[in-house]
Amino acid sequence: MSVKAFELVPAVEWEQLTAEKARAAVECIECCGEHLYVCTSDCVLHHFLLEARTTAKGRHTYRTQKLLQKVLNSKKPAAELKAASALDRLVVLCDAAISLVDMLTLEAVPSGGAKLRGVTAFSVNENPVTGDAFCVEMAVVSARRRAVHICTVHEDRVQVLKEVVTPEQPCALAMDGYFLCLALPMQYMILNYSTGVSQDLFPYNSQERKPIVKRIGREEFLLAAPGGLGMFANAEGISQRAPVSWSEGVLAAAVCFPYVVALDEGFVTVHSMLDQQLKQTLSFREGHVLQDFEGKVLLASTKAVFVLVPLPLETQIQDLLASRRVEEALVLTEGAQRNIPKDKFQMLHKRILQQAGFIQFGQLQFSEAKEHFRRGQLDVRELISLYPLLLPASSSFTRCQPPLHEFADLSQLAQGDPEKVERCKHFLIGYLREARAGEAANGFREDVDTALLKLYAEAGHDSLLDLLASENACLLADSAPWLEKHHRYFALGILYHYNGQDAVALQLWVRVVNGDLCDPTCTNLFQYIVDFLSRCPNLDLVWKYADWALQKDQKIGVQIFTKRPISKELLNADDVITYLQKHHRALLLYLEHLVLERKVQREKYHTHLAVLYADQVLGLLSRPADTREHLASARTKLQHLLRESSLYRVQLLLGKLQDSELLLVERAILHGKLDEHDTALHILVHQLRDTTAAEDYCTWASAARGHAHRRRLYHHLLGRYLDPDMPGGPRAVEAVDLLNRHSEVFDAVQVLKLLPEAWSLGLLHPFLCGALRASVHACRTTQVALGLARAENLQLHRDRLKYRGGPILMSEKKGCHLCHNTFRDPECMCLPGGTPVHTHCAAQKLQDTPIKRRLDRTHTSNHT
Amino acid sequence: MHAQRKMRKPDIKMVILGDMNVGKTSLLHRYTERSFKDTLSTVGGAFFLKQWGPYNISIWDTAGREQFHGLGSMYCRGAAAVILTYDVTSWQSLVQLEERFLSLTDSANGDCIFAIVGNKADLTDACARDVAPKAVRLEEGDESDHLECPTPPHTPTVHKQVMREDALALYNRIIHSKVLEKRTSPPAEDVCFETSAKTGYNVDTLFETLFELLLPSIICTQTQVESPTVCLEDYEEMKKKKPVCCT
Repeated sequence: MSVKAFELVPAVEWEQLTAEKARAAVECIECCGEHLYVCTSDCVLHHFLLEARTTAKGRHTYRTQKLLQKVLNSKKPAAELKAASALDRLVVLCDAAISLVDMLTLEAVPSGGAKLRGVTAFSVNENPVTGDAFCVEMAVVSARRRAVHICTVHEDRVQVLKEVVTPEQPCALAMDGYFLCLALPMQYMILNYSTGVSQDLFPYNSQERKPIVKRIGREEFLLAAPGGLGMFANAEGISQRAPVSWSEGVLAAAVCFPYVVALDEGFVTVHSMLDQQLKQTLSFREGHVLQDFEGKVLLASTKAVFVLVPLPLETQIQDLLASRRVEEALVLTEGAQRNIPKDKFQMLHKRILQQAGFIQFGQLQFSEAKEHFRRGQLDVRELISLYPLLLPASSSFTRCQPPLHEFADLSQLAQGDPEKVERCKHFLIGYLREARAGEAANGFREDVDTALLKLYAEAGHDSLLDLLASENACLLADSAPWLEKHHRYFALGILYHYNGQDAVALQLWVRVVNGDLCDPTCTNLFQYIVDFLSRCPNLDLVWKYADWALQKDQKIGVQIFTKRPISKELLNADDVITYLQKHHRALLLYLEHLVLERKVQREKYHTHLAVLYADQVLGLLSRPADTREHLASARTKLQHLLRESSLYRVQLLLGKLQDSELLLVERAILHGKLDEHDTALHILVHQLRDTTAAEDYCTWASAARGHAHRRRLYHHLLGRYLDPDMPGGPRAVEAVDLLNRHSEVFDAVQVLKLLPEAWSLGLLHPFLCGALRASVHACRTTQVALGLARAENLQLHRDRLKYRGGPILMSEKKGCHLCHNTFRDPECMCLPGGTPVHTHCAAQKLQDTPIKRRLDRTHTSNHT
Repeated sequence: MHAQRKMRKPDIKMVILGDMNVGKTSLLHRYTERSFKDTLSTVGGAFFLKQWGPYNISIWDTAGREQFHGLGSMYCRGAAAVILTYDVTSWQSLVQLEERFLSLTDSANGDCIFAIVGNKADLTDACARDVAPKAVRLEEGDESDHLECPTPPHTPTVHKQVMREDALALYNRIIHSKVLEKRTSPPAEDVCFETSAKTGYNVDTLFETLFELLLPSIICTQTQVESPTVCLEDYEEMKKKKPVCCT
């Protein structure tokens, strides 16, 4: 396969070159801008103006206009021409001598300075080192000497700067900066004429085959190598590109980046410098000259001159892409980077990458395609639009023009193969996910998210819910029918909710739970609805669906009310309770939630809950005995509430439980709440006959009331045990146990008064020991406390004396500090600090103090 | 080959040399493309840019034909490693290495690393025929052996003309003739390989071993080329020296 990289366009026809009679052939050509110089074998120098034209069809043509022709003053035609446009001079190598000709008049310019004779070849330095714009640097090979002359050409003279000795007589050369690349008879070499350092390149027999030495860029040369190779070598003698393979009979070569063009007897071949492949072959007979002039490649047969016009880069790339040669197209694009302006290159590069991606996508090479899409910054919608119906109807997207690919849609791409379609969809899912994560989806999130939603729904993908639950821009109008089509009602509900349409969402879900619709992807939807309602701020909706939920399952349904966040509660608890009257079980759960979990301190709720518990217990009691476990747990709950809460109405409950002979503990607790401890203990001791319960009662009832109350309760209990009037007589064993176990609570003196005389000491040994020890302990601690108090008192006394200072000496000569009179009698008062003053002065001063004055004033104001 | 990689500048250069038809291109192809295919005789040369970790290594495949012999020293110029390849079934190919190709390596770097590779080992050694030969062989019975391979595994189809010892000896002669220091050059055992491009035997080992050996010089060239930081300590030393020079 080949690329069409160049087009052969005729420039100068045979008729324009020769007069009718003469049969002249083209010898050499030079092109400088629009000026074309041709020297023919009859020693005539022709000057043409070469104008590029583009026809309506986009083809390139050249219109050539002959300006002048002039017979050279020589017997031989020119061997080489070189224009020095800055000087308006044409350097002509003719008959082994270099002369200068005016570019416009073609008149020979008499040149001063050195005469260069015996010249076999010369080369102009295209990377000059002198820095003088009005001279041209040249390297000249003379036939007689093994040397190269470095010279400069000025407007009117040629100046030799240096003679560089070479090992042998060069036959061709090229020049770049200080480097000379020379073809010697048996080898090529590179010579730095400034330092004299030389580097042999490789052997080549210049007698057998004409050597080719071409400068192709900064410090890089193209050389004809044995076996018809085109070798690249840089100034250090290193090959940085792999060689291109020409034919053995290559005559000339030229470079037009990124191509190397070579001419042999029958063909012009075009190789790429980027991958060394042969790209194009043009048939061309009697080829004679092939040269590039500032990017323009000219080709001459003996009879005519042609221009090799490179096809526009984009055309070449598109040709490659059309034949699906993705890598080559990209190599060509990237290779052209330095030849096109940066922004233009970036645009082109992106587009080619995108196109390449689509070609690979079409071949299902997804990883390569993805990489190219990414690097080409593809508009994701281009890819989405391949999949029918994925883009929302509201999307403003239109495909890029000209199109990036040839596919109408996915089915065309996959040619109806469902497996291929499936793989493409799988790829798109992955691609869109990454696009969402990155910045590629910015600006058209709606399109991307909606497309992803549709793909998920279609594939039954679990990530659908993740997508909907997270922040997304799925379009409701477009997604809803799609989700319905794929029975993803749960997801649809979430989408409705995300769009603020909770009512629609709930309606949908309720239909799924009721079995009207079927969504196999969601299992515990009822619980979800309940949770949803418990978070729902719209109370109308809550009330609307609460009934449905409670009818379905009271225990779960009530969570609508119990799971609501307390911080922003909008529901009134009373309303809920009224509402729940119908649903007994739910009401109980709700009240438990209020009282036990949220610890709402309202008598109403506590009483209500207690009554409900009591009713439950009573209800269970009236039923047969198989509910024993239920009864036990119900009673535990009731007792717990009765004990812990102090808000319920005790009398009410007492009235309810009064008749029951079984609920003695409960009744005792209620009596305890009323401070009727005697009654309570009576019930516990004599009716229930449960000593542990009685002791527990004492502990519980006195828990928050201090030691004295506790002692009183225990004495009550002891009294109950010892009461001889009770049926069955006093209960000595229980009393002894109580005393022995709780000796610290009792007042031993009172107890001893109560106890019957007949009881043995051994029986009460632990109690008495405890009591005695407690008494001794109390006595001792009291003594210690007393001693400490005394010590403290003494300490304070001492401090007081210390601060009062020593005795105050009084005499008749001493004056009072306040009135400055002397003391008459020994009575005096001391100011703080021990200064003696008259008693009356001190009283006076006290009266005058601000506090005193203020007090006086209030007194008077009160009176008035 | 990835398009973008071609554009990058290589950090270091490796060259494969050897007589024609010993399998230089196949070796490189096996390593880069992980497959074996019949290759045409290489014209001139070709190169491949291998990305090895953060480094780019250019591997030049040269033409073995006599016609292109002259280009060899150009390819070797600036090379940090040279792989001298022979064919284990051809004594002549080993002789050629010493006679023809060794002189080309004069243009390579002074500290160039040499490797001697005997290719086509699958033709002479059973162990090179399969990449994981032993494990399979032990499990299979003798009978199935006969059924599955028409040629018995231990009788080579082609006579092996070059033994490993010959390659080791050649390597030591090279080191000697190049006056390379024995201490700095890797020992012969490390850089003499018998490979098979056809089965892939030892091919990865060859290239990976060489890359490892090259690593110090890669780092060295990198620091030489791109050193955006200025060493202040060096500068101070220079300053101190200056007055001494002047006086």
